[in-house]
Amino acid sequence: MSSIFEKTKEVTRTLLPVFILVLILCFTIVDVETDVMVRFIVGSVLLLAGLSIFLWGVDLSMNPIGEYMSQEIATSRSPIIIAILSFLMGFLITVAEPDLLVLGSQIESASGGTMSAQLIVYMVSIGVGALITFGVFRLLKDIPLNVFMAITYGIIFILAIFVSEEFLAISFDSSGATTGALTTPFILAISLGLSKVKGGKDSEENSFGLVGIMSAGAIIPVMLISIISGQKNIHGNAAEFIPTKGVFGPMLSIVPSVFLESLIALLPITILFFGYNIVKFKIKKEELSVIVKGLVYTLLGLTLFLTSVNSGFMDMGRIIGIQLATMSPWILSILGFILGLIIVLVEPAVHVLGEQIEEVTAGHIPIRLIRITFSLGVGIAIALSMVRIVVPWVKLWYFIIPGFVLAILLSFRAEPIFVGIAYDAGGVASGPMTATFILAFAQGAASATETADVLVDGFGVIAMVAMAPVLAIMILGTAFKHKHKMVKTPEIKKEPVLSPSLYSEDAYETQHNCIIVVVNRGFAEEVVNVARDAGAKGATIMHGRGTEEKEEEKILIPVVNIEVQPEKEIIWIITDSQISEAVSNSLLSQTKLTEEGEISVFVSFTEAMGQD
Amino acid sequence: MIYIETLFFVVLARGKANAVLKKAQECGASGGTIFLGEGTAPSKLLDALGLNEVQKEILMISASRELSDNLHEVVNTEFSFSKRNKGIAFTIPFQQCKLNPDTRKQENASDNTNTATNFPYSCILTIVDKGRSKACIKAARAAGASGGTVVHGRGAGIPTDFYYPLVIEPQKDIVLIVTAKEKTLQIRERIFTELEIDKTGNGIIFTLPVSRATGLLDDTSEESKEVLT
Repeated sequence: MSSIFEKTKEVTRTLLPVFILVLILCFTIVDVETDVMVRFIVGSVLLLAGLSIFLWGVDLSMNPIGEYMSQEIATSRSPIIIAILSFLMGFLITVAEPDLLVLGSQIESASGGTMSAQLIVYMVSIGVGALITFGVFRLLKDIPLNVFMAITYGIIFILAIFVSEEFLAISFDSSGATTGALTTPFILAISLGLSKVKGGKDSEENSFGLVGIMSAGAIIPVMLISIISGQKNIHGNAAEFIPTKGVFGPMLSIVPSVFLESLIALLPITILFFGYNIVKFKIKKEELSVIVKGLVYTLLGLTLFLTSVNSGFMDMGRIIGIQLATMSPWILSILGFILGLIIVLVEPAVHVLGEQIEEVTAGHIPIRLIRITFSLGVGIAIALSMVRIVVPWVKLWYFIIPGFVLAILLSFRAEPIFVGIAYDAGGVASGPMTATFILAFAQGAASATETADVLVDGFGVIAMVAMAPVLAIMILGTAFKHKHKMVKTPEIKKEPVLSPSLYSEDAYETQHNCIIVVVNRGFAEEVVNVARDAGAKGATIMHGRGTEEKEEEKILIPVVNIEVQPEKEIIWIITDSQISEAVSNSLLSQTKLTEEGEISVFVSFTEAMGQD
Repeated sequence: MIYIETLFFVVLARGKANAVLKKAQECGASGGTIFLGEGTAPSKLLDALGLNEVQKEILMISASRELSDNLHEVVNTEFSFSKRNKGIAFTIPFQQCKLNPDTRKQENASDNTNTATNFPYSCILTIVDKGRSKACIKAARAAGASGGTVVHGRGAGIPTDFYYPLVIEPQKDIVLIVTAKEKTLQIRERIFTELEIDKTGNGIIFTLPVSRATGLLDDTSEESKEVLT
């Protein structure tokens, strides 16, 4: 039972609803050619394999690379090196992002050639690099994320005044385009690594947010270009849509280009890492071989995944969009909602984020809850996008601007860890599934609606998908905080105690005791300090979750019936058997620890070897 | 009040701990603590492919001796731990410290009945720098252990002089190996020498007595041979 099977199982669980829904549509109200349908079925199988392999590869390669690189950043002694390294990382991975190039060429044709695709790609990459640098400094300098993001989005809103409606959509779309299948997991890993190195009380909160910062970094340059060049309207027409014939032909034909795309996207990270490895890290062969294996899996999985999505899912999405739009706007919106509900869970980055949340909070924040929130957010986003396409007077900014304003306001009230997760959620949700299947679906719907323009209305869909989860998770975070208000425990009387030793020495002939301390999260530092004062040398801290002792304090989320368990820290201390009494007693006599920390101390005898 | 004299540990596949905890609470446990870890894959082929991590959850329940005996029965029957690869459960005698002298004495009295020979298994814990857990498990397997569970943790902070006054918290791997008592010494020695624990900063190794274990595989000799060759 290796976890690749677990991953396959998980991917199957998320893919199956999409598969079933599309098939049901095909057999009932939507009329699809056999070729497209067969391709969709084959594509689904490939997607299952590709995504599982990809996620496994990311686990093996991106996470350690991110960790090493972030360690390098955080432990450098000069701010200039920190700045250069962070900028370089942000710039390189964005330049190599295939989605961004696609968006760039779309903008080029939309602007009638006045903005070249290359210019867009480079400007966005510089923007992302710069914001990642700010983001890293933010983390190191302990500036709260909600303040940082409020300022960043403040700038975006001011710029938005000068930008035409069409380009507003394009700019917000670019944030979705930069956070692709590969960049998101990598930046998530960097974020996690940085916060781990930095440690401290806020390390959990700091594990998230960099992807959100990165998304903002893509919006600003596109807005600036549009203002400077004075470009206001969108020109040109979308190319005529003809569904491709054949089953394996179209699939095989795009494999080389997709492979090349994936390779290019993977290359900058790889080169940067191996360059540093030769000069600095000098990682052991065994560990390096795992990373190399991981990179190969990542490349393989990504190629399979993108091939299946591009050839199997895009035409299907388009056809469904066209046919539903001709039926009734109601059906279109409702089915858009359902599609959004389930499709977001197939996004690779959603899996990665889920895993990271579990890892960081040791299961305190249930992934299922995050997933449900994601689903609802994206579902509503796509339903509203459909409304926007069908109803001419409904504009994109009606949703985008108030949505972000509300999210920013809520970020000051929400549970801190959710702020980072929420901002990340935007980039995470707008991955390759949105950029292909959902976009094609929207374009199909637009082409079948007389009042809509495929090109103009096509833009903005990704922006909606990138905004809605931010707001949804922020609302969840606010609700969490509301539920979390601590119940004050009554005062306990303290008496210092001298008691006989726990075990008689002669019976066991051990010289050490092992003390396990369980406290609420955030008190570990306090415990270590107290233990050190009492004579303990060192300690190892682990992260876990516990149970609420009293029934009435349990936090149970209604409807979905998920229990939220409080976070705990577990501290292992090895001491001389003579001082273990003193350590445990001094821990228990700290009022702060016993009352707020809900401390419990366990002692056992042990034989220890080793040097501190 | 429930009398705490043992810690009952369960290592099992990720996501399953809550079910066991719920069951345990039905049996009378007051609560538990769960943390995440990684197990080792049993097959060499999977290891070569890099598929060698199995995600695990470790559940820790404080319980009286009777309760923890009960819990062993429960995991055996309800979660069929006796079958291969389902999970393991073990009890380590621990004392919960309370600032109350009366209960203390009682605990102490009850302790005398518990002699060292009562412990058929032991739990070897090795705390090493992050990344060295694999070497640790390799050494343990070579000495006859069937596998281990790795938990990530961090050491207590040491202030440093980087550009930002970071408190670097060195990341640590905690390797948890439960094994029969006879094998304990050789496994410990092997890890000790191969990882050079005796050198400063290379980690620490310690063993805890295990009074009862469920789901531990006995036919480990073949596997360890495989690793050796």
